[in-house]
Amino acid sequence: MRNPLPAGILTACFVLGGCGGANVLVETTVPTPLVEPLPLTMGVHFDASLTDYVHEEDLELYGKFRIELGSTQVPVFERVFDAMFARTEHMETLDAPSAGVDAIIVPVVEELQFSIPAQTRSDFFEIWIKYKIDIYAPNGELLSSWPLPAYGKSNSRNFGFMESSSDLGLNEATIWALRDAAAHFAFYFPQAPEIRTLTDRAMQASG
Amino acid sequence: MTRGAAFGTLLALATLTSVPGCVTATVQEVREGSTGISADESIVVLGRRHKTRGETESGFVDCVSRAVAGGRDFGVMSESDFVDATFPWFEPRTAPVDVDDFSQVVAHPLLSERIREIGVRYLVWIEGTTQRTSETGTVNCTMVSGGIPACFGFLSWENDSNYEASVWDVRQGINVGRVRSEAVGTSFIPALVVPIPIVARVRQGACSSLSDQLRSFLSDEAET
Repeated sequence: MRNPLPAGILTACFVLGGCGGANVLVETTVPTPLVEPLPLTMGVHFDASLTDYVHEEDLELYGKFRIELGSTQVPVFERVFDAMFARTEHMETLDAPSAGVDAIIVPVVEELQFSIPAQTRSDFFEIWIKYKIDIYAPNGELLSSWPLPAYGKSNSRNFGFMESSSDLGLNEATIWALRDAAAHFAFYFPQAPEIRTLTDRAMQASG
Repeated sequence: MTRGAAFGTLLALATLTSVPGCVTATVQEVREGSTGISADESIVVLGRRHKTRGETESGFVDCVSRAVAGGRDFGVMSESDFVDATFPWFEPRTAPVDVDDFSQVVAHPLLSERIREIGVRYLVWIEGTTQRTSETGTVNCTMVSGGIPACFGFLSWENDSNYEASVWDVRQGINVGRVRSEAVGTSFIPALVVPIPIVARVRQGACSSLSDQLRSFLSDEAET
């Protein structure tokens, strides 16, 4: 009779066939990062592949999982970019050259993976998001792609009798992964070679 | 009455008749520096989030934070308010893991200014968990004649809490000491028709003893 309520819910789920899997719609943002802004005017483009991103996976033993990540990434990246650069300019397209910016950055989701406690025999829901930040010259030429790995986890023991709820666990893990992406970007993007070159040039130009 | 409603009533009855069990808690303190805090300063209680095993339960961190705040000798900032106010310096993968790391981090002008603004004097890092260490017996519930639910048997389990709080002085950039709390307790459910849970609130016991000791640790000694 250990943890009778979750066990009861789980049993009911198996009997009724109505549980398993998860449908997660992530809605979050991040605080404004405490960082010195770089002296750059940065063009920012959010592609539809980012804003509409949905991860769907059918795990044989655990059901269908759908993680809708798309639209919540925009406020997260906007908050970070606005703090990181002296000015940001939203670009609808990469097709038209833009003389008013030092470079253009485009966040891209390359891959998303997740695990649930039942798979790993641990207490944690975990999410890995592999982003890359494409850095373009103002004329639209791709200069480089900077890798941005993000990881988030949530402890199922924090959810009490809802500890087996994948919706809750994956939602919280995804929020932590987005915070991790924002933190990693804030700390390490200024060290990307192309960004250092641009920053040095901007600092020399301003004397 | 349906079968589900009957068992629901039995469960509710069991919950209502729940009796607190015994918890034995011990606390130890190691002081490495002087402490002292004024009424206009505050502390923040933080859980370590970078480990993949044995992560401290957020409920325990909240419990310590609330219990320490109960003394009202100084302010206690919530963990979420602090990590948001200092974002991205205290995220799971970026938070300083030791005091050397910490003194470098707080030397950053924007962060040190923010910490000064919010008035946090001490960071209290909590590590540890509560584990179920043993479990014996069984309780079986069934419908007896007349559709009346009934449970029979005896179940017992032991929980063990081990937590340690490290206290960092933000102003001096040093570790001023550690407080360790251990608690153990055995819970029982004897069931003769109605199960009567006798639950030892071990984690709650560890939280109370750790919080009491932390409060005295932070404010006991006159500031030097």
